[in-house]
Amino acid sequence: MKRGEKSVPKAKAPKAAAARKKKGKAAAAELPSRFYGSPLPGVKPEELSGTLVVIEGTDGSGRSTQISLLTEWLESEGFAVQTMGLRRSYLVGEDIDGLLAENTVTRMTLALMYSTDFFDQLERRILPALRSGLIVLADRYIFTLIARAAVRGIGRDYLHGIYETSLRPDLTFWLNVRPEIAFDREFKKSQTISYWESGRDMSLSNDLFQSFIRYQSMIKREFEYLSKRHGFIEMDGESSVADVNRILRTRIASHLGIRSTHYTPSHALTHLWR
Amino acid sequence: MATAPAPALKREYPGALVVVEGIDGSGKSTQLYLLKRWLEIGGYRIHFTEWNSSPLVKSATRRGKQRRLLTPTTFSLLHAADFADRCERQIMPLLHGGYLVLADRYIYTAFARDAARGCSPHWLRNLYSFAPTPDITFYFRAPLDVAVNRIVAGRPKLKYYEAGMDLGISLDRAESFRIFQERILNNYDAMVDSDNFVLMDGTVRVNKLQKLMRQIVGERISLQQFAPKKR
Repeated sequence: MKRGEKSVPKAKAPKAAAARKKKGKAAAAELPSRFYGSPLPGVKPEELSGTLVVIEGTDGSGRSTQISLLTEWLESEGFAVQTMGLRRSYLVGEDIDGLLAENTVTRMTLALMYSTDFFDQLERRILPALRSGLIVLADRYIFTLIARAAVRGIGRDYLHGIYETSLRPDLTFWLNVRPEIAFDREFKKSQTISYWESGRDMSLSNDLFQSFIRYQSMIKREFEYLSKRHGFIEMDGESSVADVNRILRTRIASHLGIRSTHYTPSHALTHLWR
Repeated sequence: MATAPAPALKREYPGALVVVEGIDGSGKSTQLYLLKRWLEIGGYRIHFTEWNSSPLVKSATRRGKQRRLLTPTTFSLLHAADFADRCERQIMPLLHGGYLVLADRYIYTAFARDAARGCSPHWLRNLYSFAPTPDITFYFRAPLDVAVNRIVAGRPKLKYYEAGMDLGISLDRAESFRIFQERILNNYDAMVDSDNFVLMDGTVRVNKLQKLMRQIVGERISLQQFAPKKR
Protein backbone atom coordinates (compact mmCIF):
# COMPACT_ATOMS: atom_id res chain seq x y z
CA MET A 1 0.00 0.00 0.00
CA LYS A 2 3.00 2.26 0.05
CA ARG A 3 3.29 4.86 -2.62
CA GLY A 4 6.21 4.76 -4.98
CA GLU A 5 6.08 1.07 -5.64
CA LYS A 6 5.16 1.79 -9.20
CA SER A 7 8.76 2.86 -9.74
CA VAL A 8 9.73 -0.81 -9.82
CA PRO A 9 9.87 -1.61 -13.55
CA LYS A 10 7.54 -4.42 -14.56
CA ALA A 11 10.05 -5.94 -16.97
CA LYS A 12 12.39 -6.74 -14.12
CA ALA A 13 9.90 -8.90 -12.34
CA PRO A 14 10.87 -12.28 -13.87
CA LYS A 15 14.56 -11.66 -13.20
CA ALA A 16 13.84 -10.54 -9.70
CA ALA A 17 11.76 -13.65 -9.15
CA ALA A 18 14.73 -15.78 -10.16
CA ALA A 19 17.04 -13.75 -7.98
CA ARG A 20 14.70 -14.15 -5.07
CA LYS A 21 15.24 -17.88 -5.09
CA LYS A 22 18.98 -17.35 -4.75
CA LYS A 23 19.15 -14.39 -2.42
CA GLY A 24 16.05 -15.00 -0.41
CA LYS A 25 14.46 -12.16 1.49
CA ALA A 26 16.69 -9.33 0.31
CA ALA A 27 15.53 -9.62 -3.30
CA ALA A 28 11.92 -10.29 -2.40
CA ALA A 29 11.69 -7.00 -0.59
CA GLU A 30 12.31 -5.08 -3.84
CA LEU A 31 9.13 -6.45 -5.44
CA PRO A 32 5.73 -4.92 -4.90
CA SER A 33 3.81 -7.57 -3.02
CA ARG A 34 0.82 -9.05 -4.77
CA PHE A 35 -1.02 -8.76 -1.48
CA TYR A 36 -1.61 -5.68 0.68
CA GLY A 37 -0.51 -7.42 3.85
CA SER A 38 0.16 -11.05 4.59
CA PRO A 39 -1.33 -13.25 1.87
CA LEU A 40 -4.33 -15.46 2.51
CA PRO A 41 -3.54 -18.66 4.41
CA GLY A 42 -2.16 -21.26 2.00
CA VAL A 43 -1.65 -18.99 -1.03
CA LYS A 44 1.70 -18.82 -2.83
CA PRO A 45 1.90 -15.45 -4.62
CA GLU A 46 4.51 -16.69 -7.11
CA GLU A 47 2.00 -19.15 -8.55
CA LEU A 48 -0.33 -16.40 -9.70
CA SER A 49 0.63 -15.82 -13.32
CA GLY A 50 -2.62 -14.18 -14.48
CA THR A 51 -3.60 -10.53 -14.44
CA LEU A 52 -6.22 -8.83 -12.28
CA VAL A 53 -7.92 -5.79 -13.82
CA VAL A 54 -10.45 -3.91 -11.70
CA ILE A 55 -13.11 -1.53 -12.98
CA GLU A 56 -14.59 0.61 -10.23
CA GLY A 57 -17.31 3.22 -10.41
CA THR A 58 -20.80 3.87 -9.16
CA ASP A 59 -23.97 2.46 -10.74
CA GLY A 60 -24.49 4.30 -14.00
CA SER A 61 -20.78 4.80 -14.63
CA GLY A 62 -20.76 2.26 -17.47
CA ARG A 63 -18.77 -0.50 -15.74
CA SER A 64 -20.77 -3.48 -16.94
CA THR A 65 -20.87 -2.23 -20.54
CA GLN A 66 -17.11 -1.80 -20.56
CA ILE A 67 -16.55 -5.25 -19.07
CA SER A 68 -18.69 -6.90 -21.77
CA LEU A 69 -16.71 -5.11 -24.47
CA LEU A 70 -13.32 -5.80 -22.90
CA THR A 71 -14.17 -9.48 -22.51
CA GLU A 72 -14.96 -9.76 -26.21
CA TRP A 73 -11.83 -7.86 -27.20
CA LEU A 74 -9.54 -9.95 -24.96
CA GLU A 75 -11.09 -13.21 -26.13
CA SER A 76 -10.62 -12.17 -29.74
CA GLU A 77 -6.97 -11.55 -28.87
CA GLY A 78 -6.76 -15.08 -27.47
CA PHE A 79 -6.86 -14.33 -23.75
CA ALA A 80 -9.14 -16.31 -21.44
CA VAL A 81 -11.23 -14.12 -19.17
CA GLN A 82 -12.85 -14.71 -15.78
CA THR A 83 -15.13 -12.13 -14.19
CA MET A 84 -16.14 -11.32 -10.63
CA GLY A 85 -18.53 -8.85 -9.06
CA LEU A 86 -20.53 -8.10 -5.95
CA ARG A 87 -22.96 -10.67 -4.55
CA ARG A 88 -21.92 -13.33 -7.03
CA SER A 89 -20.49 -15.88 -4.58
CA TYR A 90 -22.10 -19.27 -4.24
CA LEU A 91 -21.64 -19.09 -0.48
CA VAL A 92 -23.57 -15.93 0.44
CA GLY A 93 -24.57 -14.09 -2.77
CA GLU A 94 -28.25 -14.94 -2.41
CA ASP A 95 -28.22 -14.33 1.33
CA ILE A 96 -27.07 -10.75 0.76
CA ASP A 97 -29.82 -10.24 -1.81
CA GLY A 98 -32.27 -11.36 0.88
CA LEU A 99 -30.79 -9.02 3.50
CA LEU A 100 -30.90 -6.06 1.12
CA ALA A 101 -34.54 -6.76 0.30
CA GLU A 102 -35.51 -6.71 3.98
CA ASN A 103 -33.74 -3.43 4.84
CA THR A 104 -33.31 -4.53 8.45
CA VAL A 105 -29.65 -5.48 8.35
CA THR A 106 -27.20 -3.34 10.32
CA ARG A 107 -24.11 -1.76 8.85
CA MET A 108 -21.41 -3.96 10.36
CA THR A 109 -23.24 -7.17 9.52
CA LEU A 110 -23.73 -6.07 5.94
CA ALA A 111 -20.08 -5.04 5.62
CA LEU A 112 -18.96 -8.46 6.87
CA MET A 113 -21.41 -10.36 4.66
CA TYR A 114 -19.99 -8.48 1.68
CA SER A 115 -16.46 -9.35 2.75
CA THR A 116 -17.47 -13.03 3.01
CA ASP A 117 -18.93 -12.77 -0.49
CA PHE A 118 -15.72 -11.16 -1.73
CA PHE A 119 -13.33 -13.68 -0.21
CA ASP A 120 -15.39 -16.66 -1.33
CA GLN A 121 -15.08 -15.45 -4.91
CA LEU A 122 -11.44 -14.53 -4.46
CA GLU A 123 -10.37 -17.86 -3.02
CA ARG A 124 -12.49 -20.24 -5.02
CA ARG A 125 -12.75 -18.53 -8.39
CA ILE A 126 -10.23 -15.74 -8.82
CA LEU A 127 -7.08 -17.27 -7.37
CA PRO A 128 -7.57 -20.53 -9.35
CA ALA A 129 -8.09 -18.43 -12.50
CA LEU A 130 -4.93 -16.43 -11.83
CA ARG A 131 -2.99 -19.63 -11.20
CA SER A 132 -4.06 -20.76 -14.66
CA GLY A 133 -2.89 -17.51 -16.22
CA LEU A 134 -6.32 -16.00 -16.96
CA ILE A 135 -7.23 -12.34 -17.14
CA VAL A 136 -9.66 -11.53 -14.35
CA LEU A 137 -11.97 -8.57 -14.96
CA ALA A 138 -13.51 -7.43 -11.69
CA ASP A 139 -16.76 -5.50 -11.88
CA ARG A 140 -16.00 -3.59 -8.66
CA TYR A 141 -13.63 -4.77 -5.95
CA ILE A 142 -12.78 -4.08 -2.32
CA PHE A 143 -12.82 -0.32 -2.94
CA THR A 144 -16.59 -0.07 -3.37
CA LEU A 145 -17.01 -2.18 -0.23
CA ILE A 146 -14.61 0.02 1.74
CA ALA A 147 -16.23 3.24 0.49
CA ARG A 148 -19.78 2.12 1.29
CA ALA A 149 -18.86 1.01 4.80
CA ALA A 150 -16.69 4.07 5.45
CA VAL A 151 -19.49 6.55 4.64
CA ARG A 152 -21.59 4.66 7.19
CA GLY A 153 -19.04 5.37 9.88
CA ILE A 154 -16.97 2.17 9.95
CA GLY A 155 -13.29 3.03 10.35
CA ARG A 156 -11.09 3.09 7.25
CA ASP A 157 -8.23 1.37 9.09
CA TYR A 158 -10.61 -1.34 10.25
CA LEU A 159 -11.78 -1.92 6.67
CA HIS A 160 -8.29 -1.91 5.21
CA GLY A 161 -7.38 -4.40 7.94
CA ILE A 162 -10.06 -6.84 6.81
CA TYR A 163 -8.97 -6.63 3.19
CA GLU A 164 -5.23 -6.67 3.83
CA THR A 165 -5.13 -10.35 2.88
CA SER A 166 -6.66 -9.62 -0.52
CA LEU A 167 -4.88 -9.43 -3.82
CA ARG A 168 -3.55 -6.14 -5.12
CA PRO A 169 -4.92 -5.51 -8.64
CA ASP A 170 -2.51 -5.08 -11.55
CA LEU A 171 -4.63 -2.22 -12.89
CA THR A 172 -7.51 -0.37 -11.21
CA PHE A 173 -9.64 1.91 -13.35
CA TRP A 174 -12.09 4.34 -11.80
CA LEU A 175 -14.89 5.46 -14.09
CA ASN A 176 -15.70 8.77 -12.50
CA VAL A 177 -19.09 10.35 -13.22
CA ARG A 178 -20.91 13.20 -11.51
CA PRO A 179 -23.79 12.00 -9.29
CA GLU A 180 -26.28 13.95 -11.44
CA ILE A 181 -25.20 12.07 -14.55
CA ALA A 182 -25.30 8.73 -12.69
CA PHE A 183 -28.84 9.61 -11.59
CA ASP A 184 -29.96 10.31 -15.18
CA ARG A 185 -28.48 7.07 -16.45
CA GLU A 186 -29.88 4.93 -13.66
CA PHE A 187 -33.32 6.46 -13.90
CA LYS A 188 -33.38 5.92 -17.64
CA LYS A 189 -32.40 2.29 -17.15
CA SER A 190 -34.74 1.22 -14.32
CA GLN A 191 -37.35 4.01 -14.11
CA THR A 192 -36.50 4.41 -10.44
CA ILE A 193 -33.56 4.62 -8.02
CA SER A 194 -32.65 1.77 -5.71
CA TYR A 195 -32.94 2.00 -1.93
CA TRP A 196 -29.27 1.22 -1.30
CA GLU A 197 -27.77 3.21 -4.19
CA SER A 198 -29.48 6.29 -2.81
CA GLY A 199 -28.29 5.57 0.74
CA ARG A 200 -31.78 5.66 2.16
CA ASP A 201 -30.68 3.67 5.22
CA MET A 202 -28.68 6.77 6.20
CA SER A 203 -31.67 9.13 6.49
CA LEU A 204 -30.02 11.82 4.36
CA SER A 205 -33.20 13.23 2.85
CA ASN A 206 -36.79 12.23 2.29
CA ASP A 207 -36.46 13.31 -1.29
CA LEU A 208 -35.07 10.45 -3.33
CA PHE A 209 -33.13 12.65 -5.72
CA GLN A 210 -31.52 14.65 -2.90
CA SER A 211 -30.73 11.48 -1.01
CA PHE A 212 -29.10 9.92 -4.07
CA ILE A 213 -26.98 12.99 -4.83
CA ARG A 214 -25.79 13.38 -1.24
CA TYR A 215 -25.00 9.71 -0.84
CA GLN A 216 -23.17 9.43 -4.16
CA SER A 217 -21.19 12.59 -3.35
CA MET A 218 -20.05 10.99 -0.09
CA ILE A 219 -19.04 7.83 -1.95
CA LYS A 220 -17.19 9.95 -4.50
CA ARG A 221 -15.18 11.67 -1.78
CA GLU A 222 -14.20 8.27 -0.37
CA PHE A 223 -13.11 7.24 -3.85
CA GLU A 224 -10.97 10.35 -4.22
CA TYR A 225 -9.17 9.33 -1.05
CA LEU A 226 -8.89 5.69 -2.15
CA SER A 227 -7.67 6.75 -5.58
CA LYS A 228 -4.69 8.54 -4.04
CA ARG A 229 -3.98 5.77 -1.58
CA HIS A 230 -4.12 2.94 -4.12
CA GLY A 231 -3.08 4.64 -7.35
CA PHE A 232 -6.24 4.33 -9.44
CA ILE A 233 -6.27 5.19 -13.12
CA GLU A 234 -9.00 7.81 -13.05
CA MET A 235 -11.13 8.10 -16.18
CA ASP A 236 -13.88 10.40 -17.35
CA GLY A 237 -16.88 8.11 -17.20
CA GLU A 238 -18.97 10.75 -18.94
CA SER A 239 -17.11 10.31 -22.25
CA SER A 240 -18.60 8.10 -24.94
CA VAL A 241 -18.52 4.32 -24.53
CA ALA A 242 -16.13 4.06 -27.49
CA ASP A 243 -13.71 6.64 -26.08
CA VAL A 244 -13.62 5.08 -22.61
CA ASN A 245 -13.15 1.66 -24.16
CA ARG A 246 -10.28 2.81 -26.37
CA ILE A 247 -8.37 4.16 -23.37
CA LEU A 248 -9.04 1.00 -21.36
CA ARG A 249 -7.77 -1.15 -24.24
CA THR A 250 -4.66 0.98 -24.61
CA ARG A 251 -3.74 0.67 -20.93
CA ILE A 252 -4.52 -3.04 -20.73
CA ALA A 253 -2.73 -3.77 -24.01
CA SER A 254 0.43 -2.08 -22.81
CA HIS A 255 0.28 -4.04 -19.55
CA LEU A 256 -0.18 -7.36 -21.33
CA GLY A 257 2.12 -6.61 -24.24
CA ILE A 258 -0.60 -6.78 -26.90
CA ARG A 259 0.50 -4.81 -29.96
CA SER A 260 -2.82 -3.99 -31.57
CA THR A 261 -5.62 -2.23 -29.74
CA HIS A 262 -7.89 -2.32 -32.77
CA TYR A 263 -11.40 -3.50 -31.95
CA THR A 264 -14.89 -3.28 -33.39
CA PRO A 265 -17.66 -4.92 -31.40
CA SER A 266 -19.36 -7.95 -32.88
CA HIS A 267 -22.96 -7.80 -34.00
CA ALA A 268 -24.10 -9.09 -30.60
CA LEU A 269 -22.58 -6.09 -28.81
CA THR A 270 -23.10 -3.21 -31.23
CA HIS A 271 -26.04 -1.99 -29.16
CA LEU A 272 -23.58 -1.09 -26.39
CA TRP A 273 -21.41 0.97 -28.73
CA ARG A 274 -23.19 4.28 -28.81
CA MET B 1 -2.27 -5.26 17.91
CA ALA B 2 -1.26 -8.87 18.53
CA THR B 3 -1.82 -8.61 22.24
CA ALA B 4 -4.72 -6.50 23.42
CA PRO B 5 -3.97 -3.77 25.93
CA ALA B 6 -5.52 -4.28 29.35
CA PRO B 7 -9.07 -3.09 28.86
CA ALA B 8 -10.00 0.15 30.56
CA LEU B 9 -13.02 -0.56 32.68
CA LYS B 10 -14.69 2.74 32.01
CA ARG B 11 -18.00 1.89 30.36
CA GLU B 12 -20.07 4.02 28.08
CA TYR B 13 -23.15 1.98 28.98
CA PRO B 14 -24.85 0.99 32.25
CA GLY B 15 -25.04 -2.76 31.47
CA ALA B 16 -22.48 -5.47 32.10
CA LEU B 17 -21.15 -8.38 30.07
CA VAL B 18 -20.14 -11.77 31.48
CA VAL B 19 -18.58 -14.29 29.14
CA VAL B 20 -17.59 -17.97 29.35
CA GLU B 21 -14.90 -19.46 27.16
CA GLY B 22 -13.09 -22.77 26.85
CA ILE B 23 -12.76 -25.78 24.54
CA ASP B 24 -15.62 -28.20 23.91
CA GLY B 25 -16.23 -30.36 26.95
CA SER B 26 -14.68 -27.94 29.44
CA GLY B 27 -17.96 -27.52 31.31
CA LYS B 28 -18.49 -23.85 30.47
CA SER B 29 -22.06 -24.13 29.13
CA THR B 30 -23.25 -26.07 32.18
CA GLN B 31 -21.76 -23.47 34.49
CA LEU B 32 -23.21 -20.52 32.58
CA TYR B 33 -26.60 -22.23 32.56
CA LEU B 34 -26.49 -22.55 36.34
CA LEU B 35 -25.42 -18.93 36.71
CA LYS B 36 -28.28 -17.88 34.47
CA ARG B 37 -30.79 -19.91 36.52
CA TRP B 38 -29.54 -18.29 39.73
CA LEU B 39 -30.01 -14.79 38.29
CA GLU B 40 -33.33 -15.63 36.65
CA ILE B 41 -34.77 -17.01 39.85
CA GLY B 42 -33.59 -13.88 41.62
CA GLY B 43 -35.49 -11.76 39.08
CA TYR B 44 -32.46 -9.92 37.69
CA ARG B 45 -32.49 -8.12 34.34
CA ILE B 46 -30.45 -10.51 32.25
CA HIS B 47 -30.13 -11.70 28.69
CA PHE B 48 -28.46 -14.90 27.55
CA THR B 49 -26.75 -15.13 24.15
CA GLU B 50 -24.88 -17.89 22.37
CA TRP B 51 -22.12 -17.94 19.78
CA ASN B 52 -23.42 -18.82 16.34
CA SER B 53 -27.10 -18.72 17.07
CA SER B 54 -28.59 -16.22 14.65
CA PRO B 55 -30.70 -17.29 11.66
CA LEU B 56 -28.82 -14.73 9.55
CA VAL B 57 -26.01 -16.97 8.37
CA LYS B 58 -27.59 -20.36 8.99
CA SER B 59 -28.30 -21.16 5.37
CA ALA B 60 -24.85 -20.00 4.28
CA THR B 61 -23.14 -21.99 7.02
CA ARG B 62 -25.15 -25.08 6.14
CA ARG B 63 -24.39 -24.65 2.44
CA GLY B 64 -20.72 -24.13 3.13
CA LYS B 65 -20.42 -27.06 5.52
CA GLN B 66 -22.42 -29.55 3.48
CA ARG B 67 -20.35 -28.97 0.37
CA ARG B 68 -17.16 -28.24 2.31
CA LEU B 69 -16.60 -24.91 0.64
CA LEU B 70 -15.44 -22.97 3.66
CA THR B 71 -11.85 -21.74 3.81
CA PRO B 72 -10.27 -20.43 7.03
CA THR B 73 -11.04 -16.88 5.87
CA THR B 74 -14.66 -17.37 4.81
CA PHE B 75 -15.34 -19.56 7.86
CA SER B 76 -14.06 -16.75 10.04
CA LEU B 77 -15.86 -13.93 8.21
CA LEU B 78 -19.18 -15.74 8.24
CA HIS B 79 -19.00 -16.13 12.00
CA ALA B 80 -17.92 -12.51 12.35
CA ALA B 81 -20.96 -11.39 10.32
CA ASP B 82 -23.17 -13.52 12.52
CA PHE B 83 -21.60 -12.06 15.66
CA ALA B 84 -21.93 -8.51 14.30
CA ASP B 85 -25.65 -9.06 13.81
CA ARG B 86 -26.03 -10.24 17.41
CA CYS B 87 -23.77 -7.48 18.68
CA GLU B 88 -25.55 -4.64 16.88
CA ARG B 89 -29.09 -5.88 17.38
CA GLN B 90 -28.94 -7.54 20.83
CA ILE B 91 -25.79 -7.11 22.88
CA MET B 92 -25.17 -3.38 22.39
CA PRO B 93 -28.81 -2.26 22.78
CA LEU B 94 -29.12 -4.41 25.93
CA LEU B 95 -25.91 -3.05 27.44
CA HIS B 96 -27.12 0.48 26.76
CA GLY B 97 -30.48 -0.48 28.24
CA GLY B 98 -28.84 -1.61 31.47
CA TYR B 99 -28.97 -5.40 31.16
CA LEU B 100 -26.58 -7.99 32.49
CA VAL B 101 -25.66 -9.93 29.34
CA LEU B 102 -24.41 -13.52 29.64
CA ALA B 103 -22.57 -14.89 26.62
CA ASP B 104 -21.79 -18.55 26.00
CA ARG B 105 -18.57 -18.07 24.01
CA TYR B 106 -17.44 -14.73 22.72
CA ILE B 107 -14.78 -13.28 20.43
CA TYR B 108 -12.04 -15.33 22.12
CA THR B 109 -13.60 -18.43 20.56
CA ALA B 110 -12.84 -16.91 17.16
CA PHE B 111 -9.34 -15.87 18.22
CA ALA B 112 -8.51 -19.37 19.46
CA ARG B 113 -10.27 -21.47 16.82
CA ASP B 114 -9.69 -19.40 13.67
CA ALA B 115 -6.02 -18.92 14.52
CA ALA B 116 -5.79 -22.73 14.89
CA ARG B 117 -7.13 -22.86 11.32
CA GLY B 118 -4.37 -20.57 10.09
CA CYS B 119 -5.88 -17.07 10.18
CA SER B 120 -3.48 -14.39 11.33
CA PRO B 121 -4.05 -13.36 14.98
CA HIS B 122 -3.49 -9.73 14.02
CA TRP B 123 -6.18 -9.92 11.33
CA LEU B 124 -8.61 -11.56 13.77
CA ARG B 125 -8.06 -8.92 16.45
CA ASN B 126 -8.86 -6.20 13.96
CA LEU B 127 -11.90 -8.06 12.63
CA TYR B 128 -13.54 -8.15 16.06
CA SER B 129 -12.33 -4.78 17.34
CA PHE B 130 -15.91 -3.46 17.32
CA ALA B 131 -16.95 -5.86 20.11
CA PRO B 132 -17.34 -4.51 23.67
CA THR B 133 -14.79 -5.84 26.18
CA PRO B 134 -16.39 -8.17 28.78
CA ASP B 135 -16.54 -7.24 32.45
CA ILE B 136 -15.64 -10.82 33.33
CA THR B 137 -14.32 -13.55 31.05
CA PHE B 138 -14.42 -16.96 32.72
CA TYR B 139 -12.04 -19.40 31.07
CA PHE B 140 -12.96 -23.01 31.84
CA ARG B 141 -9.94 -25.17 31.54
CA ALA B 142 -10.02 -28.95 31.58
CA PRO B 143 -7.16 -31.25 30.62
CA LEU B 144 -7.32 -32.18 26.95
CA ASP B 145 -8.11 -35.85 27.61
CA VAL B 146 -10.94 -35.05 29.99
CA ALA B 147 -12.55 -32.59 27.59
CA VAL B 148 -12.08 -34.75 24.49
CA ASN B 149 -13.50 -37.83 26.21
CA ARG B 150 -16.58 -35.90 27.36
CA ILE B 151 -17.30 -34.92 23.75
CA VAL B 152 -16.41 -38.16 21.99
CA ALA B 153 -18.38 -40.27 24.50
CA GLY B 154 -21.53 -38.23 23.95
CA ARG B 155 -21.49 -38.10 20.17
CA PRO B 156 -21.85 -40.89 17.62
CA LYS B 157 -19.88 -39.04 14.96
CA LEU B 158 -17.78 -35.89 14.97
CA LYS B 159 -18.65 -33.43 12.22
CA TYR B 160 -16.18 -32.50 9.50
CA TYR B 161 -15.40 -28.89 10.50
CA GLU B 162 -15.89 -29.57 14.20
CA ALA B 163 -13.10 -32.13 13.99
CA GLY B 164 -10.91 -29.71 12.02
CA MET B 165 -10.83 -32.11 9.06
CA ASP B 166 -10.45 -29.13 6.72
CA LEU B 167 -6.94 -28.68 8.09
CA GLY B 168 -5.80 -32.03 6.76
CA ILE B 169 -4.09 -32.92 10.05
CA SER B 170 -5.20 -36.53 10.09
CA LEU B 171 -7.61 -38.74 8.17
CA ASP B 172 -8.89 -40.13 11.45
CA ARG B 173 -11.63 -37.87 12.81
CA ALA B 174 -11.04 -38.59 16.47
CA GLU B 175 -7.32 -38.01 16.03
CA SER B 176 -7.89 -34.83 14.03
CA PHE B 177 -10.36 -33.54 16.63
CA ARG B 178 -7.89 -34.12 19.41
CA ILE B 179 -5.05 -32.27 17.68
CA PHE B 180 -7.35 -29.42 16.65
CA GLN B 181 -8.64 -29.05 20.23
CA GLU B 182 -5.09 -29.07 21.52
CA ARG B 183 -4.17 -26.16 19.27
CA ILE B 184 -7.25 -24.26 20.41
CA LEU B 185 -6.42 -24.99 24.04
CA ASN B 186 -2.91 -23.60 23.55
CA ASN B 187 -4.32 -20.45 21.93
CA TYR B 188 -6.69 -19.95 24.87
CA ASP B 189 -3.86 -20.43 27.37
CA ALA B 190 -1.86 -17.73 25.59
CA MET B 191 -4.67 -15.19 26.16
CA VAL B 192 -5.11 -15.71 29.92
CA ASP B 193 -2.97 -12.73 30.93
CA SER B 194 -3.40 -10.44 27.93
CA ASP B 195 -7.18 -10.65 28.07
CA ASN B 196 -7.69 -10.91 31.84
CA PHE B 197 -9.30 -14.33 31.87
CA VAL B 198 -10.56 -15.71 35.17
CA LEU B 199 -9.21 -19.23 35.16
CA MET B 200 -11.72 -21.89 36.27
CA ASP B 201 -10.72 -25.50 36.86
CA GLY B 202 -13.16 -27.59 34.82
CA THR B 203 -12.38 -30.75 36.83
CA VAL B 204 -13.81 -29.35 40.07
CA ARG B 205 -17.24 -30.68 41.11
CA VAL B 206 -20.09 -28.87 39.35
CA ASN B 207 -21.80 -27.39 42.42
CA LYS B 208 -18.51 -26.34 44.01
CA LEU B 209 -17.41 -24.59 40.84
CA GLN B 210 -20.76 -22.88 40.51
CA LYS B 211 -20.48 -21.55 44.05
CA LEU B 212 -17.13 -20.02 43.17
CA MET B 213 -18.50 -18.55 39.93
CA ARG B 214 -21.41 -16.88 41.73
CA GLN B 215 -19.06 -15.50 44.33
CA ILE B 216 -16.80 -13.93 41.68
CA VAL B 217 -19.76 -12.42 39.81
CA GLY B 218 -21.05 -10.97 43.10
CA GLU B 219 -17.67 -9.44 43.88
CA ARG B 220 -16.94 -7.93 40.49
CA ILE B 221 -20.35 -6.74 39.39
CA SER B 222 -22.71 -4.65 41.41
CA LEU B 223 -25.68 -6.95 41.02
CA GLN B 224 -27.93 -4.50 42.83
CA GLN B 225 -28.28 -2.40 39.68
CA PHE B 226 -29.79 -5.39 37.83
CA ALA B 227 -32.08 -6.41 40.71
CA PRO B 228 -35.85 -6.16 40.46
CA LYS B 229 -37.12 -2.70 41.34
CA LYS B 230 -38.75 -2.48 44.78
CA ARG B 231 -42.17 -0.98 44.88
